[in-house]
Amino acid sequence: MSVMSIYHLVAIFLLCLGLFGIVYRRTLVGIVLGIELILNGAGLSIMASAQLTPTPNELGQVGALLVMGLAAAEATLLLAILLLVSKRFKNVEADKLITMRG
Amino acid sequence: MENLQYEYLAWAVLLGHIAIIVVGGFITVLSESLVRALVGLIMTLFGVAGLFFLMAAPFIALMQLLIYVGAVSVLIFFAIMLTRAWPGGDESGKRTSKKTLMAVLAAVLPAIFLGSAAIKTAPPSDFVAKEIDVSTLGQFFMQDFILPFELISILLTVAMAGAVVLVLEKRRQK
Repeated sequence: MSVMSIYHLVAIFLLCLGLFGIVYRRTLVGIVLGIELILNGAGLSIMASAQLTPTPNELGQVGALLVMGLAAAEATLLLAILLLVSKRFKNVEADKLITMRG
Repeated sequence: MENLQYEYLAWAVLLGHIAIIVVGGFITVLSESLVRALVGLIMTLFGVAGLFFLMAAPFIALMQLLIYVGAVSVLIFFAIMLTRAWPGGDESGKRTSKKTLMAVLAAVLPAIFLGSAAIKTAPPSDFVAKEIDVSTLGQFFMQDFILPFELISILLTVAMAGAVVLVLEKRRQK
């Protein structure tokens, strides 16, 4: 087993833990935490694939930076959506939000 | 002899960071208090930043600390505070065994497939990562990757503006 597959296994662990969190958590904030775990695993996997193989290193670093930018944008929007949901429905539990009309 | 010591040191640092990631990840998904879960997430982010350092990419590691630990986790903390997801509140209490089973399945099945694929298809190399300086990275961004660079700036602007508009819209209706 090469060093790269250790990094990839850590990334897969983060992905699976994020999936577990998304299904297991009740509140929307907990689900957001799971999504952040998944995005981190994606960045780690991209970096390992570029740094530890003959692929140009710039590709992996650019990819990891793009993933971070996406995560920042996603977190901003999710904060706004969470605020709206909690104002409108008075709670943020995923199973209780079953109507589309506010 | 000295090289061997450095190799042991590198393995110790690698396994230590993996341990930090694993413990932090479990705190993130299992903790009843969302604030504790966020602290677990920050722990995981620090571990991933350490792995970036180990892969000879200190710039990306510092960006990880700056963007994730500095910005994203503060945003999530605001989300926790503003939605009144108080500690021991919504996340406490028993879950049905069906939900727990589904969550475990959602985690274990991809782990089996992806893990076996990652181990089988790994290239048998002991490639040593080389550090590139930030100016090379900047030139790469400005020459080869100019379109994704501009797109992500547009995306960030639209996301920020969208967030502000979403919250202001609600206030006007009142």
